[in-house]
Amino acid sequence: MKTGKELKPGTVIRLENDPWLVQKAEFTKSGRNSAIMKTKLKNLLTGYKTEIVYSADDKLDDVILDRKEATLSFISGDTYTFMDTTDYTMYELNAEDIESVLPFIEEGMTDVCEAVFFEERLVSVELPTTIVRQVDYTEGSARGDTSGKVMKPAKLKNGTELSVADFIEIGDMIEIDTREGGSYKGRAK
Amino acid sequence: MTVRWDIFCTVVDNFGDIGVTWRLARQLVAEHQCAVRLWVDDLRAFERLCPQIDITLGEQWQQGVQVCHWPEIWPSTDAADVVIAAFACQLPSAYMDAMAERQTTPLWMNLDYLSAEDWVIGCHGLPSVKYKHVQKYFFFPGFREGTGGLLREAGLLERRQQFQQDAQAQRIFLEALGVHRTPGSRLISLFAYENAGLASWFDAMATDTHASHVLIPEGRVLGDVQRWLGIDGLKAGAVQQRGALTVQVLPFVRQDQYDQLLWCCDFNAVRGEDSFVRAQWAGRPLLWHIYQQEEDVHLEKLEAFLRLYTHGLSQPAEKAISGLWRSWNAGLDMAEHWKMVDQQQQELLEHAQAWCLEQASRPDLAAALVKFYVNWI
Repeated sequence: MKTGKELKPGTVIRLENDPWLVQKAEFTKSGRNSAIMKTKLKNLLTGYKTEIVYSADDKLDDVILDRKEATLSFISGDTYTFMDTTDYTMYELNAEDIESVLPFIEEGMTDVCEAVFFEERLVSVELPTTIVRQVDYTEGSARGDTSGKVMKPAKLKNGTELSVADFIEIGDMIEIDTREGGSYKGRAK
Repeated sequence: MTVRWDIFCTVVDNFGDIGVTWRLARQLVAEHQCAVRLWVDDLRAFERLCPQIDITLGEQWQQGVQVCHWPEIWPSTDAADVVIAAFACQLPSAYMDAMAERQTTPLWMNLDYLSAEDWVIGCHGLPSVKYKHVQKYFFFPGFREGTGGLLREAGLLERRQQFQQDAQAQRIFLEALGVHRTPGSRLISLFAYENAGLASWFDAMATDTHASHVLIPEGRVLGDVQRWLGIDGLKAGAVQQRGALTVQVLPFVRQDQYDQLLWCCDFNAVRGEDSFVRAQWAGRPLLWHIYQQEEDVHLEKLEAFLRLYTHGLSQPAEKAISGLWRSWNAGLDMAEHWKMVDQQQQELLEHAQAWCLEQASRPDLAAALVKFYVNWI
């Protein structure tokens, strides 16, 4: 059993006997102290997609999924091919199946991801909590701040934009926390 | 055939929950010919808004609405065609069974909180969980196209305009409340909870060259008012003067009287949801004390509303009203921003009127609910 608040991309829940993959989950605090989770779901049997809003404390049947380690093999258009690191089997996913991690997927990445399987079918991929990426572009330091508290925008190789510390320069490797949309964590050591 | 509606309301805090649901119930009856049962778990809170009710009765009719006490042990009853759980309240499980057992599946809606945030448009009208085969939907009030709108009875703005143009009607109304307005003074209504910013605001008004008369319906802010005045036991009818500021405590007033009070005043300080909306329909500058939430989430909601509300204002007017709202909600010093608001009062008045008309150009919440039901069937 999962609550609405615990839903995240990659979770599979059972609705009226069908398995539904959570492709996107947006948590929002509503009025007073209630909260909702807006989800984008895909029926794994029919491919039908829908949007459903859950209260944070709604109870949902989750489906036990198999998980294996996998790495990105290559990208072709909107198709992302991952390889099982133990038996080298190749699996394909569409961009929309990995929408939530897409900003941090790029050619040549070596992160060992967690591939999520439903009845032997790859349905989603989760990135490690911390990943390292190279800054492709950022403006020079405006104030010479070294505290890490002053932030500025930066772009990764795949075009993803995020805020980084003011002292980060083009070409620097940075650590990113991939939870809740991804955020700058610090300069990679 | 008359459509039957059940509205469920749990009274959590003050009169906002019951205030909204009572307005909605009456409007559905009066303007959409619906048969409405309003289930309320706390009739004592309701009694303040509707003194005619008998709190000992399990059910009774008030203004065309069947008002039912929501008891701890749920009575066996049929489910209605449309079921509204106001502000995410949990329906009794026996009632949910009754919904599922109906021959015709009812429409089940969660009428959620009012927010100006962008995400509301993306969530309004979306389905949620199912209980057996009965699907719940989220319905969000709001200020923009793509939301459920705001509660607004037919003819409200016309009544307001007529009242605001009728000096004698205003005088009679105020005098019935014991208010004798000094010509030229600025009339302000104040409905708020405890607020550390109150003393600085009152200080600013007391030392102003322009007289202010603040009307305070009995409520939680009176503790701060007493502290500022340096007296105890403030009750309805009390009038105190400090410098240019007159402070007057009013009795708790009914919803229609509260509307008239807002219409009489030059500036209205309101809180929560219901009075916030009513102050916007008054077409006068306002100050909103938002419901405080964990992790300061309410401040994001405040900013979201300010972004919408202040659109089109000149920079000084925007700075004045936004600064005042932020100070009030943080319990900070109000003096500087109050002076700025005073300097921008004409623009802020015209803006409040324009905002009111803009909001009134969209379907009201009751009509939007009825339309949602019609589209759903």
